[in-house]
Amino acid sequence: MIFAGSQSVIAQINQWVAPTIDWHALAPELVLIVGINLVLFIDLSLGAAKKWAMATLTGLVFLAAFIPVVTLAVIGDASREMFDGRYVVDGYSLILKAIFLLAAYVLVLMSQNELEEGGYYQGEFYVLMMCSVLGMVMMTSARDLIAIFVALELLSIPAYMMAAWRKRDSRSNEAGVKYYLLGVFASAVLLYGMSFLYGTTGSTKLTDIGASLVDGDLLGLQVLAVVFVLGGLAFKISAVPFHSWAPDTYEGAPTPVTAFLSVASKAAGFVALMSIVMLALAPANSVVRPMLWVLAALTMTVGNVMALRQTNIVRMLAYSSVSQGGFILMPLVVIGTGNAGDSVLRAVIVYLLIYAFMNLGAFSIVIAVARRTRSGEITSFGGLFGYAPGLAVLMTIFMASLAGIPPLGGWIAKFNVFKTVLDAGDTAAYVLALIGAVNTVIAAAYYMRVLRQVWMAPAPDGDVSPIKVPSSIQAALAITAVGTVLLGVLPGLVLRFGDITDLTGALAR
Amino acid sequence: MELLVFVAASAMVLGGALGVILMRNPVHSALGLVLTLFGVAVHFVALEAHFLAAVQVIVYAGAIVVLFLFVIMLLGVDSAEDLKVDGLTIQRPLAAIIGIGTVAIVSVAVLRTRSTIAAGPALEASGDSNIRLLSRNLFSDQVLAFEITSVLLIVAVAGTVLLTRKQSGPTGARKGS
Repeated sequence: MIFAGSQSVIAQINQWVAPTIDWHALAPELVLIVGINLVLFIDLSLGAAKKWAMATLTGLVFLAAFIPVVTLAVIGDASREMFDGRYVVDGYSLILKAIFLLAAYVLVLMSQNELEEGGYYQGEFYVLMMCSVLGMVMMTSARDLIAIFVALELLSIPAYMMAAWRKRDSRSNEAGVKYYLLGVFASAVLLYGMSFLYGTTGSTKLTDIGASLVDGDLLGLQVLAVVFVLGGLAFKISAVPFHSWAPDTYEGAPTPVTAFLSVASKAAGFVALMSIVMLALAPANSVVRPMLWVLAALTMTVGNVMALRQTNIVRMLAYSSVSQGGFILMPLVVIGTGNAGDSVLRAVIVYLLIYAFMNLGAFSIVIAVARRTRSGEITSFGGLFGYAPGLAVLMTIFMASLAGIPPLGGWIAKFNVFKTVLDAGDTAAYVLALIGAVNTVIAAAYYMRVLRQVWMAPAPDGDVSPIKVPSSIQAALAITAVGTVLLGVLPGLVLRFGDITDLTGALAR
Repeated sequence: MELLVFVAASAMVLGGALGVILMRNPVHSALGLVLTLFGVAVHFVALEAHFLAAVQVIVYAGAIVVLFLFVIMLLGVDSAEDLKVDGLTIQRPLAAIIGIGTVAIVSVAVLRTRSTIAAGPALEASGDSNIRLLSRNLFSDQVLAFEITSVLLIVAVAGTVLLTRKQSGPTGARKGS
């Protein structure tokens, strides 16, 4: 009996075909995994005085992970598929990987001083950050519900902990706990929806799900599945009405973590949303479209109206990031309608890239100024031009870009979004564009209020000694400012992304 | 027979779940969770997913809930803790409405879908086919996601140790902002 059993096992071993693995395509992820372990172990043996080296090492790991992304992009345009098309490296995923790694590098620059001076644990912070970035990088290639869910958890769980990193501060604890509880709830809702999708289509692969759903003849459970999946993801991108965690978490968390959440984590949520909506839920357009339409309109409007009333700069940026999320949702509403099909991906990706630059830049300034003023109030920016003209000019660039004033990057981003939505050419799209236009004007009001403080108001406490900006933050400011201005002046650099209509398997059917 | 098992297991699942949220004493809640997880295991057995049933009992009902109980006992949660403190009076009725509404919508969806749903992929007949299918799926198509969960373990260990550590941090310095 035992002999028979073991023989059948041997027979099965012979049947087994190992999955082929394209090591080059997996290289960015592998570099990050090696980096995680490296930082974890080197951190063990370093004295407290040398912890600064961890930031440098983490930055180098991100740059090293960037190399295979570049080589993959240079070598070819054909997509590389692994595991039966469940993990795909194509133009879409490469560009997004590049955005995430770049943003992560800037975030390391922003975190370094804050962590050193605040007396936080440093090595572990960077380890968690790298794990989160690993999740984002995987998210860009995941084409399977399970892979997407694992990536989403991998990017969220470290973020929950990072939000509570200021352990002695009750507001930071509150930020972490709120984010954690609501995040877990949203994950459960998402998983519930995914289980319905799997149960009614029999596959976890996005393209298979897309092939199984029948337009106009959706089962009740499938409609529910779509609603739950979109609701779960809407939490990640802090879309109204799933945004209530965002302002408290953003305000309580250490500022670099806030920047991380509002840029990288949010972008990853959009990536998951894009992959699922385009590949799996394309036939369910009759459910997806109205839901995304309402989400987009609500997110823009509520985010903006709340931002108008804030006096704390971080809270204002939190609500502003909510409303920017609404703008990024706009093109997704018009997937597959009119002429909009091809430019949706481009509009979203360009927006994510430019948004990363300008928002990280704005947060860098907040960190630089708060190092001296020790205040998060907008009034603490009073007279900034008088004693720190460089920072004032940069702040003007970032705020104007966030408001969408030409010729800065934010203008190109918004222009693309509106063009895509108008290309769809039906009434719903026109109304949405109108709501977006009104919101652009409202948004300008609160960005300009900050600038009025910067340029016209006097310094609140009369202290006009110049601000000393640490070199790492200077570097972060330089990268983000160049990105913001350059993409505005030379939009051709990124509009070539328009060629990436080949989100593999999508839109081809 | 099938129906009987189904009804019994579902009663365990639902009763346990209600117990988790309605019991005052956290220990009772944890025991309610055990009941729910056992009920799910019975469902797995009824679906001939024996391996999953075993895992469900060993890992969830066995290990995880026991850990819950350990934590509850070590922390010595006061069973008389008042959970009735309420921020907004509208919250509880609203939560009840949303909860009942969700249950109603899901039930209607399930009932209406019941007859049209396609049968799942047929299982092989032999006894260990479950394990074979599962492992084949796990180590071929899902192998990357499977490996990445090990990184999640690093995250869990590193983060938990850091957040629960008593010492005030490397320097103990802190900042007002």
